[in-house]
Formats: sequence, structure tokens, C-alpha cells
Amino acid sequence: MNGWHATAALGRALVLGAVGLALALVAGDPAVVVLAAPFVVLAAVTLVHRPTRRPRIDSRLDHVALREGHGTTSRLTLDGAEDVEFVTRSAGQPPYVVQRPDGGRVGGLVSRGVPVVEIGPRRWGRRMLGEENVALYTPWAGFRFGPVERGGQPVRVLPATAPYDSRAEVPQPLGLVGRNRSRRTGSGTELAGIRPFQAGDRLRRVNWRVSLRTGNLHVVTTRAEEDTGVLLLVDALADHGVSGGVGGPASSMDLTVRAAAAIAEHHVRAGDRVALRVVGRGREQVGYGAGARHLRRLQDRLADLRVGDVGDGTLQLGVTGGAVVVVLSPMLAESIGTVAAGLTRRGVAVLVVDTLPPDAEPAVAEGVDPVLAGLAWRMRRVERSVVLDRLATLGCPVVAWRGPGTLDDVMRRLARRAQLPRVVSR
Amino acid sequence: MPRSQVVLRAVVLLGPVVALLMTGPAGHWPPWWLVLPLTGLAALGAVAPDSPVVAGAGLLVLVWWTVSLGNGVPVSVLVAAAALLAGHVAALLAAYGPREMALERATVLLWVRRGALVLLAVPGAWLVARVLRGQPEQPGIWVLAVAAACVATVVGTAAVEVRRAES
Repeated sequence: MNGWHATAALGRALVLGAVGLALALVAGDPAVVVLAAPFVVLAAVTLVHRPTRRPRIDSRLDHVALREGHGTTSRLTLDGAEDVEFVTRSAGQPPYVVQRPDGGRVGGLVSRGVPVVEIGPRRWGRRMLGEENVALYTPWAGFRFGPVERGGQPVRVLPATAPYDSRAEVPQPLGLVGRNRSRRTGSGTELAGIRPFQAGDRLRRVNWRVSLRTGNLHVVTTRAEEDTGVLLLVDALADHGVSGGVGGPASSMDLTVRAAAAIAEHHVRAGDRVALRVVGRGREQVGYGAGARHLRRLQDRLADLRVGDVGDGTLQLGVTGGAVVVVLSPMLAESIGTVAAGLTRRGVAVLVVDTLPPDAEPAVAEGVDPVLAGLAWRMRRVERSVVLDRLATLGCPVVAWRGPGTLDDVMRRLARRAQLPRVVSR
Repeated sequence: MPRSQVVLRAVVLLGPVVALLMTGPAGHWPPWWLVLPLTGLAALGAVAPDSPVVAGAGLLVLVWWTVSLGNGVPVSVLVAAAALLAGHVAALLAAYGPREMALERATVLLWVRRGALVLLAVPGAWLVARVLRGQPEQPGIWVLAVAAACVATVVGTAAVEVRRAES
């Protein structure tokens, strides 16, 4: 409904004024004139403020990317709004989005500033924010422009990084830079030992106390500090449980995505190279990389991931030796368990982060007997526990995501185990 | 629904009913079979203030005043006019947006001032009606009076707007 239209209020004032006067004239009743007089005045004043210009409406958000739980502001710009006195904004109700004023419905006088709507997405993903209907009113509310539909703006909502930090070193550092202690000696700060001086050793490495005591030059050797490759394998085959957005109950995908974002951020900040592989409908993947820009790329991919079955075919992860594979999964899909077991047998350091919420219930489709669905769900969980036990038997640790320190213990154990000689199948 | 919308819709409901009942003090209480349908219409208007139902309730009040009083101009007509106008302004404010939208204080105050300004026409019309009652009726006197009032209002408003624009 673009263009100016007379409002119901103007029509009411005209009708009551005109009919009142007509009745007074016909019946000769002056009391009705008294009743009709204010409506005649209202109609006259309203018609004086008939609009002459066509306003132009534009709206925009302050941000194009947000983190879940953060907020932005939708601002309305009016051009040629000399005839406008009042603005009404009525925003849509997209899922997992909160708006202020409540429900995104706000109106106000233009003279006091065009009202704004504050929008806060509560869940990661790509969301269309700022969709709304806008109506403009002339002074005395005689004419209305709109409601005009304003399209939204796509906003990428990045997963909130759950508070996560780990003091454990990564098992198999093989890179050139970073903060992980290597098995090889190099120019780090961690003491590796003291040995006799050899040609080529730097003089600043000479340990004078030992050299004086033994009569021969001795030097201090240190461990190198190196980075590692961390592959995050995200299971996006299905979403189990109910999501209430950030601060509410978390579904399996919520836990998976937030945990992946937190682990990625931790390792990137530690100087490690991190890669992402999503097993799901979108098959999103990001190669190994480091740095803030790479971290943002990882978060973008996590925000964009599409949940759904990947179809038939075996999973080829392209995992190279030396990388640590962190599998984030509710472990209800057979293929994920198979991949984790296969990698463990190959000698790759694999760690499974269990992201199935403890209170997850099956989504019962219409027409399905809930008792039957409940029985199937219990059977599925039994199978899952068997898979987890087998993985543990193979030496693949499985931990439930619980924020800071989740991976410390298992990372230390993996690091100790990586230093032992072993036979692997290839 | 926010409190402002509840209050406005209550006024939309009560305005026409009060205006109808104001013939009572003049000795013409409306019958129940008129009060009930009017209350129903006003309730519908309170639910949908942007609908023509609100005007329907107002028309019913005007018709009852015409039928019941004849040539009388009681003081209670002033209250009836104020109630009818209050119902109209409340419906206008409530129809500014969806029912979930709260109205800010500044808008309500602006319309209270406007309503009071418009209401000034009521005692004037009442005084003129009292003075002219019983006088031999001049042909076209009412039309002339209303036209004069309209012209005066329009000129006055235009002057106010021009002054505001200049300032």
C-alpha cells in the first residue's frame, strides 16, 4: 500500500460531522450541532494538513555481522518527510531474535527523532534481520503512507565462543612456529639438557658454571617451540535436542558449533594451524591456516553450516600425520564413529568431544507412535554407548563438552602417548 | 497488550456509551435494547479501532440524541460531546499501530492538547444553540454558522502552521 491514504479517523470525523449537521438541520435539533461541532473542526483541520510530497523510506542495520547474544540497531531514514508527523514501525518476528521495544513494534513523533529498533540474534547462523512494515502519518492523523514493507538485511551471526582455555600442549607439534614444546631441540626456552660444546654452537648457549666445574665447554640445549595442525571435524548430520538460543537450552548443534568456535579460537591464538571440515549437507571446509583472518573465516563457515545428511559415500578427510583431529559430534551417526576409529588405528591423535545434550529427546514426526519413537531412541543411545566404549578401547578419548579445561586432561595423555614408540596400521 | 493500549481501548469502549447515557439527566434515559447494541458496537470498535464500527457507534449516539431530545439543549450535551470526542481520539491513537505497540507519553500529551483545543468549539456551539433556541429560525442559519466556524478554524490553523514554519 504505497502512497497516501485517508485514515479511518478522518473518515469518522467527516461522517460524524456531516451526518450530525444534516440531522440537526432536518430535525431542527441544536443539541446535535453541539455534538457534531468538534468533528467538523477536526475534519477541517485534518484536511488542511493534506500531504503534498511522497516520502522515501530507507532502513539499515548498524552491523552486518554479529555474535549470538550481541545486538544491533535498525535505523529508519526518511527523505521528503515534511508532511510526516508520526512514524510506526512493526518488525517481523524471526526465530531466535529478540527485539526492543518488545516485539519490535514502536511508534513515535518525528519531531522527537525517528524511533529505532534494537535487534539481538540469540542463535548462530545466517539470519534475515530488520524486516518490517513502516507507516507514516500526517499531522492530525488524517492521512497514512503505507504500511510499506521493508526487506531485511542478511546478517551472519557468529557462534558465541564459550569460555575455553587449555594449558595442555598439543600432542604432535610438527610446524615451525608456535608455543607448543617440540620433541626436537631448537631455539626455545624450555630446558632440554646440557651437553659438551660442538662446533657451531652459539657462545651465548655456553653454561659457564658446568664448564668451569668439568673443565670442558658445555652448552645448554632447549626444546623447539612449534605449531601444530588441528583439524576440527564437525558433525552436522542432524540436530538433536531443543535450542533456546544463547543463554537457553542448547541443542547438539549449538554445543558443537560453540565448542568448535572456542577450540578454534584457542588454537589460533596459540599460533597453531587450524582446519575445519563439516560433515553435513553444506560440506563446508576450511584449509589449514593461522591468524586472526583465518579465525574469522572459520567462524564464518561455522555460522553458515547447513544441517542435513551428506548422502552416500565414504568420508575422505585428508588427514596428514602430525595433525590432531578433534571430532565434535553427538556420536549418533555410524559414519562418524567409523572415521574416528579408522584415524585412531592409523596412529592419528583423535579426540572426540561428545556434544549430545544429556536431556536430548527425539523429534517425533507426525503420525509416529511416540512410544515406538521413544523405544527407538533408547536403542539408538545404547548403540551409541557401545560405539563410545569401542572408541575408548581403541585409545580414542571421548569427553563431554563442559567449557574451560574440557580437553586438558586428554590432550596431556595424548601428548605423553605420542612420545612412545608404537606400531600403526596404514 | 501494553497498558497505554488498554487504557485507550477502554476509552473507545466507554466514550459512545457515556455520550448515549447523557440524555438521561435531561429526562430521556436510553432503553436497554439501545444501550446493549451500542456497547457491543463500541466493544468491537475497541478491538478494531481502525474499523468503521467506531463511526457506527458514534452515528447511533447522534441518532438517539436527535430522536430523544427534540429542541432541547441540556448541559449534559457538553459531557456527551467530550465523551464522543474522547472516544474518537482514543481510537485514532490506538490505530496508530498494532495492538502490541505502546504509545509514548509525548504523543498522548500532544493529542490531549489537541483534543482540548478542539473541545473549545463545544461550549461555543452550546452557547449559540441556547441563545438561538426559541428564536424564529432564519433560513440557512446553521449552515452559515458551521461554514463560518470551519473557515475560522482553517484560517487559524493555517496561521499557526505558517508561524511554526517561520520559527
